[in-house]
Amino acid sequence: MNTSLQMAVPGTARRTPVERFRGQARSRLFRADLLTVLAWSSVAAAIALWLADGGATGFSTLAGSFTALGIVAGLAGMDLVLLMLLLVARLPLIDGAVGHDRALEFHRKLGKPSLYLLLAHGVLIAVGYGMAEGLDPVSELVSLWVLVPDMWLAIVSIGLFIAVVVTSLVAVRRRFPYEFWYTVHLLTYAAVLTAIPHQFSTGALFAEGTWQRWYWIAICIATGAALAHYRLLEPIVATVRHQLKVSRVVTEAPGVVSIELTGRHLDELAGNGGRFFIWRFLSPGAWWHPHPFSLSAEPVVFDSSGRGRLRITVRNLGRGSAQLARLKPGTRVAIEGPYGLFSTAARSRDHVVMIGAGIGITPIRALLERTPFEPGNATVILRGHSEAELYLGAEILELCRRRGATLFHLTGTRTTGEQGWMPESAVRSGHRLVSYAPHVAEADVYICGPTAWARSVISEARSAGVREEQLHNERFDW
Amino acid sequence: MRIRAAVSAALASAGILLVGWQSGAHVADTGSAAATTSATTSNGTSSGSAAGGGASSGSSGSSSSSGSSGSAGATAQAAGTYAGSLVQTRFGAVQVQITVKAGAITDVTALQLTDEDRKSVQISTRAAPLLRAEVIKAQSAQVQTIGGATVTSAAYLSSLQAALDAANL
Repeated sequence: MNTSLQMAVPGTARRTPVERFRGQARSRLFRADLLTVLAWSSVAAAIALWLADGGATGFSTLAGSFTALGIVAGLAGMDLVLLMLLLVARLPLIDGAVGHDRALEFHRKLGKPSLYLLLAHGVLIAVGYGMAEGLDPVSELVSLWVLVPDMWLAIVSIGLFIAVVVTSLVAVRRRFPYEFWYTVHLLTYAAVLTAIPHQFSTGALFAEGTWQRWYWIAICIATGAALAHYRLLEPIVATVRHQLKVSRVVTEAPGVVSIELTGRHLDELAGNGGRFFIWRFLSPGAWWHPHPFSLSAEPVVFDSSGRGRLRITVRNLGRGSAQLARLKPGTRVAIEGPYGLFSTAARSRDHVVMIGAGIGITPIRALLERTPFEPGNATVILRGHSEAELYLGAEILELCRRRGATLFHLTGTRTTGEQGWMPESAVRSGHRLVSYAPHVAEADVYICGPTAWARSVISEARSAGVREEQLHNERFDW
Repeated sequence: MRIRAAVSAALASAGILLVGWQSGAHVADTGSAAATTSATTSNGTSSGSAAGGGASSGSSGSSSSSGSSGSAGATAQAAGTYAGSLVQTRFGAVQVQITVKAGAITDVTALQLTDEDRKSVQISTRAAPLLRAEVIKAQSAQVQTIGGATVTSAAYLSSLQAALDAANL
């Protein structure tokens, strides 16, 4: 089987003269790089403006050096905190360049460094001020708390930051329900707001007439406005505009249901963009629980006014998901989205390989429906313990037949003790990713499934010559 | 591609920092020039007991008279100028000099005032004339501190006290 498939490759490659997605990918990578440069530049700008206001004079004495380093740590820390807020503000620019899940990943990565910077800020300032006044750092902190207005707020703020980061550590987060983490995480806003007064009043750093004052006022207001607009206003507008209602709940397999929704103006959701939404089903006891799911079918539009149907397919994963099986038709639905890059917007090549496992198969089903490819240029690989776990398998088979995609079902248990992504039988037969998708190195690879499994697929794809811009992974276990 | 992002980000950041540092350099120059001047002054003229917790640079020991009178500090209530101690605060150093004629304070000059940043400069330039007027009126360091300039006032008056001691007033 391998040989025949591999011999077919050169012919297929020669038949695609136009590489229509190269430009799109180049532009997306450019935007991602530009955002990276902007992010680092903002940290540099925060420090540069302080230098421009004569900050470096502090380094002439030892005490001054401690204070100056403390100020640099504080400036960088605050800048990173604002960047973290922007990363979760769901800005279309960020979402379209790196995707919703990558943005969250960067957000998580910045958590600890920014906390360390803020802690260093507090300690270094206490040491620096203490040395200048002949006090030890602890007495200095006490005197700052008591004597200097707004400083107690800043000390409260750092306590809040510590609480937010500690509850977000993976080990701690697993022990508590999502709602607890979420509530504590909301304290971030309180932490940022309590940190701001001391910067503008007693810190004297952002005194009137300095460039720093304008820079920080501008980025604080811009961040706040972005959060208010994209996290509050846009979802409300989308919810009101699309008027989604549950129309029917279909059981696909034990513990797996498809929820169909009807709404208006759904043609607006059918572009090349993401298919990931955050759903709130507005029924008593469930409305406050946000569910992150991707569509499991392309939006269907009934008429020119945009009335139509959406579908998501979900597995009974937790307490919140269990309620979904009992949803009543007619329940109103609030949405945030669409987000993400698990869509045609991420394509960079003419060939496409789609690999899904378990409930991660469902976004693959939606992608397969409309993403452009010539017959023969697409491969779909579905992974599950048994045929019954290849959810929506019949629909996917039908789509593959119609569009000319090659479909593989990989079922069975994993090799014991190994981190492979294929079933034991396939590994024994010596199959690899290229056995199923011989042109994988020249294809976009869409991967959706459990984290550890996806990591295994990604590492094999990389070693098969797939480049970073061709890999598209959607996480669904948050 | 990630290399491109990393290199551009590093270059951009370095560029921004360099521009910031360059445009801040003149502020730094002014600052260190002022520090040098005041150090010379305090070495050449007088030094008082350090009231700032021992952090002051090169000022310790008893005060001595200076300037026009120039001679020994033992001359009680001589006319002349007397510099107070250099007092360190977290917003910068403070040092004052008094002019004495016939046993009375006729003038108070600030040799150095809190100048850590623009706000400190703003505060000290507002507070200094008020303190000067109060001191000349009261003829002692026992005057009210200026609201909103607590640190500057305390350092000013403590440097003044050292100058008064030096003048045996």
